[in-house]
Amino acid sequence: MTGMIQGGWEFVQAAYGVSIATLAIYAISMELRLRKEKP
Amino acid sequence: MKDRWEHLVGLLGLALFGFGTWHGLVVAPPDIYMGDVQRIMYVHVPTAWAALLTLTFAFFVAIGWLVRGTWRWDALQEASIEVGVVLGALLIAQGSIWARPTWGVWWDWDPRLTTSAVLVLAFAGILALRSFVDDPRRRATWTAVAAIVAYVDVPIVYFSVRWWRSLHQVQSSPDTVDKPMVLALRINAFALLFLATWLVARRYRLARARNRAELADMEAA
Repeated sequence: MTGMIQGGWEFVQAAYGVSIATLAIYAISMELRLRKEKP
Repeated sequence: MKDRWEHLVGLLGLALFGFGTWHGLVVAPPDIYMGDVQRIMYVHVPTAWAALLTLTFAFFVAIGWLVRGTWRWDALQEASIEVGVVLGALLIAQGSIWARPTWGVWWDWDPRLTTSAVLVLAFAGILALRSFVDDPRRRATWTAVAAIVAYVDVPIVYFSVRWWRSLHQVQSSPDTVDKPMVLALRINAFALLFLATWLVARRYRLARARNRAELADMEAA
């Protein structure tokens, strides 16, 4: 026993996945909204 | 193209985020206690810094509106509050994913988590308030006053881990963290800062376009 948390890569993947998805979706929504506003 | 610099900042942020994430996931060693789960820190902490900096920017532009009263300041406060709320919500989601394997729970009413949630809800409330006010000048002033009041929570969030005995760990310093860990953290800190700047700049353009259209409609009516 080392006291170190074993495994946990699924949580790491989830954290990075949520981050990338959030930033990507927000950025895409922004560009779409901007395009809509342009005459 | 007027917006070329914005896209350059965004691309730089994206490239740095790719490099910092690779460094954090592949090069940096696992933490002695938290193991690989600690790698979440390389995205969680930079998101926290970017969220707090964006809301600090919102605080200053709110003062800018109250002092100068020109529409650019209002567009900037709308942009920075929205991006700050998105980053703040992301921060809480990342923290929850971190909490499950380290604390055994998805959420705890710990001072850092609670004050962070209050912060996001307060600024989200300001965005909701904006949508209910028809008069653009009154909307901008109410936004500015509410943003200044809500900003009081930002230093409370930052110092909460020192002021109270919190489950959330205190801020690390480069002296206490392994060098490859510091590097991954710094690269992603700049990455999130550039990405936040790009998002605020794009959201500012959107707010300005809508503001111009709204004022033109009012003049025509």
